[in-house]
Amino acid sequence: MGLSLNHFLVLGAMLFCIGLYGAIAKRNAIAVLMGIEIMLNAVNITMVAFSFYNHVNANGVNYSGLLTGQIFAIFIITVAAAEAAVALAMVISIYRKRNTVDVSDIDMMKW
Amino acid sequence: MYQYSGLILFAPLLSFVIIVFGTRVWDMTSRPKKVQITTHDGHNTYEGEGHEQEAHVGAELAYASVPAVTTAAVAHGAQDATAHAEDQAAAAHGANLDDHGEDDDEDPKVAHLSAGAIVSGYVGIGIMLLAAIYSWFLLLSSLSDTAFQKTGAFVWSYDWLKQKGGVGDYTIAFHIDTLGLAMLVVVTTVSLLVHFYSQGYMEDSAGYARFYAYLALFTFSMLVIVFAQNFLVIFIGWELVGLSSYLLIGFWINKKAKPEEQRPSPANAAMQAFVTNRIGDVGFIIGIMILFVNTGTFDFPTLFVKAPQVMSQGLLATAMILVFCGAIGKSAQVPLHVWLPSAMEGPTPVSALIHAATMVAAGVYMVARVFPLFVAAGPVALLTVAWVGGITALFAATIALVQSDFKRVLAFSTISQLGYMFVGLGVSGLGGPETAAIYSTGPGMFHLFTHAFFKALLFLGAGSVLHSLHHATHKEVQDMRLMGGLGPKMPITALTWLIATLSISGFPFLAGFFSKETIIGLTAQRGQWALFIITLGTSGLTAFYMLRAFILAFGGTDGKYGGMWGGTYRGVGNPKESPRTMTIPLLLLAIPSIIAGYWFGFFPYVGAREALDVAGLFTDPLTYVGIAVSLVGLVIAYFMYARLNPARLHTIVENNAALRTLHRIFYNRYYVDEFYNLLIKYGVLGLSHVEQAFDTYIVDGLVNGVARLVTTLGRDIRYTETGRVQSYMIGFFGGVAVLTVVALVLVNFVAK
Amino acid sequence: MDFATLVFWIVAVILIGAALAVVGLRNIVHSALALVIVFAMAAGIYLLLNAEFIAIVQILIYVGAITILILFAIMLTRVTSGQSTNPVSKQWWLGAIVSILIGVGIIYAEMNSSHAVATVGGSSPLPGNVSNVVRIGQLLYSPSSYSYVLPFEVASLVLLVAIVGAIVIGRED
Repeated sequence: MGLSLNHFLVLGAMLFCIGLYGAIAKRNAIAVLMGIEIMLNAVNITMVAFSFYNHVNANGVNYSGLLTGQIFAIFIITVAAAEAAVALAMVISIYRKRNTVDVSDIDMMKW
Repeated sequence: MYQYSGLILFAPLLSFVIIVFGTRVWDMTSRPKKVQITTHDGHNTYEGEGHEQEAHVGAELAYASVPAVTTAAVAHGAQDATAHAEDQAAAAHGANLDDHGEDDDEDPKVAHLSAGAIVSGYVGIGIMLLAAIYSWFLLLSSLSDTAFQKTGAFVWSYDWLKQKGGVGDYTIAFHIDTLGLAMLVVVTTVSLLVHFYSQGYMEDSAGYARFYAYLALFTFSMLVIVFAQNFLVIFIGWELVGLSSYLLIGFWINKKAKPEEQRPSPANAAMQAFVTNRIGDVGFIIGIMILFVNTGTFDFPTLFVKAPQVMSQGLLATAMILVFCGAIGKSAQVPLHVWLPSAMEGPTPVSALIHAATMVAAGVYMVARVFPLFVAAGPVALLTVAWVGGITALFAATIALVQSDFKRVLAFSTISQLGYMFVGLGVSGLGGPETAAIYSTGPGMFHLFTHAFFKALLFLGAGSVLHSLHHATHKEVQDMRLMGGLGPKMPITALTWLIATLSISGFPFLAGFFSKETIIGLTAQRGQWALFIITLGTSGLTAFYMLRAFILAFGGTDGKYGGMWGGTYRGVGNPKESPRTMTIPLLLLAIPSIIAGYWFGFFPYVGAREALDVAGLFTDPLTYVGIAVSLVGLVIAYFMYARLNPARLHTIVENNAALRTLHRIFYNRYYVDEFYNLLIKYGVLGLSHVEQAFDTYIVDGLVNGVARLVTTLGRDIRYTETGRVQSYMIGFFGGVAVLTVVALVLVNFVAK
Repeated sequence: MDFATLVFWIVAVILIGAALAVVGLRNIVHSALALVIVFAMAAGIYLLLNAEFIAIVQILIYVGAITILILFAIMLTRVTSGQSTNPVSKQWWLGAIVSILIGVGIIYAEMNSSHAVATVGGSSPLPGNVSNVVRIGQLLYSPSSYSYVLPFEVASLVLLVAIVGAIVIGRED
């Protein structure tokens, strides 16, 4: 049996869940960021997979040249890079002010 | 000719408008504007306050119509005070020691009436004169007009609200018939004479123009009742006279209560009158609504035909007794009589016009107007009317026996006489429609007609005495123990008063004799022997207290003619006869007080089948019993007050336990006022406290409870806002997870 | 089992394992290193999907830039006290439940719903036999009506703002 779309989708879903767990359960802010990066990667895999399998529609029209999923993946990567840069800057800034990177301690916005 | 009688209706309204928007404003503006502050005693400050109140009332009156006039009234209220301050200053410097400076009452005075005020009076008098002449003309011409006597005449109507199918219309309709015409003549005549008389009585009042405006407003309101063709209009007029009565009783708003004389302040008296009338009016309007709901009309002629057809007799009787509640309130019958003695705090011309001759008779007029409905409602409703009247007649007469306040004797006398009228109406309707048609509303209305004249005369005479004593003593004197021997000092007043006294006592051949004996005879004729005894006894009491009042005021033990005329004057100063503006109305009223009873055709004129049987009256032995009782009352009064020293009388009463107790009960008016005070204090206010508690704890509790719940919830739930981003993520993705599971369950198990 | 499938399974297993290591390891530096493996394996998946350009970009940006950035951040924020540098929070079990539920939901939906695209076969050669990189270049830069020029320019703005923001936030003051 060869590869199908579902292989990649399930892979992306599992990766997403692992990233989500990381983002929710870790206390280190940088680890949280890592979880988010994993989630973004999971989405990218799904995007590219859809792009790969979106070659022909029911009427036989060829969509191979569109590559929409890949273009989206590129933009996601771009934004992810920007997000990582800003987020890490914030982590460093908070660390400097409060000497901690524990997200449980960063609760200035509470009630 | 009759259709133009609407002019009479709207004439007083016209004079009201002219005075309020024209001459009264002129009066205000024409007063001196120079501000001169005098502080020679603390009195001035108080007077100034009084004037502000006066201006305030004026402002209220004008406020209803035009803002500009309001401004004028407020602006010139201050000038009232200025004028008075000058007057005070002049009096203090001895330059102007006339009658006004040292008076102890708090009615604001002016030194001289301004031109605007005088013109206001002339406008009122002139218009009323035309109205009275026209109404007399209508009455005289209607005597020979049988067509009119049968149907009356339509005057004016306006469709306020028209329903589909003509059922449930709200129509403002006026008509005039013989019943209304008889009342119309009474109202316009008494009103005219009171207008005229007030020139003298209110000669220096700062509110002269306002007084005339109120009088005109009252006359208009009363005429609305007279001309009413349906319950809607009569109710509007009913409330309008209530308002005018309120304004006029409270005319001297600055006066204080005098507890030692058991006299309330005019402001409180006005409120009492208004509120007490409202109690009766609740019944009135409910009765009207019952009739309207069942028949779909307010119109009297339609109701007479339709109500007995569509309503059961019990329901109709209920409705009519409720309607009669309105008459109980307005005509001051037991148990709603308490306001009328208090209403004597108003100016005396007002008492004569409103609280003796016209407005209090409106209840009688209204019952007479819907008399066929009472007849159709059966004996229960009629006996209610008769018994309320009978009990009131006796009750009020016993109180009047011992009152020492001049006007209050007359007030209770009025209540008593109104009771007679209700007895007359009630017993006349007994015995089915056929029997009821014999006399119809005749006896009751006849007594109303005659009573209006001699009672107005009594009140205006009393006013003349009070006015004179006020000038003599610079105080307001109403206590008869401070009068006495005034006969020779003011002969016209005394003589006319004597005529009225005899007339009301049922002295033979005077007006009151015919009307009263008719009612007493009728009770016997209809077999109501209990009512017969009551009315008969009351007529003796009436004779007693009226002659007592006359002797106390005008005579004395050392007077001429056996103490009837003159004698020792127990007050201070030197009372003089009142000016002509006041004595002329007395003389004019004395004429109908004598001859009004000779209109023997009155019964058929107002719709009865038979006329007054004069020959029968004089052959009936019961008539002579009535005359005898009256004479006994007169004789007892004569011996007790004209032959006996008042001090001696006082000792006799004080030394007899039974007499003393009786005197105390009568003097305190059966403690009804005290009972009502207790009732209000513990009943109404207690209920109010309960309701307030309901409001505080249940209504507010609900509202506040909701607010408190939200506040508490918000305060507690905010702790879920931890500020930790991961909590929010759990919430967000947890929600997504739940929705995912729900969606899956729905798709797989429910949607399939 | 053909070659692509074999490669897929190997890469996928390493990928999942590395991802679990990222969230599971107690040392934050080890986690960061496992993250490198995740990114690299993801690049392998992209290659399997005929997306050479994405794969190269993945290596360049994620492995080359972001991981280094994260390592620098770890270095700058080293927590001296405490044994674990990468602890789990108290509600980690809640996170696990939520994640598993969502994962099960997504996977269930993916397996049971019909897709708008083909599920097997893979992409045919691009029209005109251009390579993947060339095609993406055309899509991003060509001034024709069907291109992503404007979003691309906006993305550059996003990057610029991110750079400025990072500097502003991160500098000492």
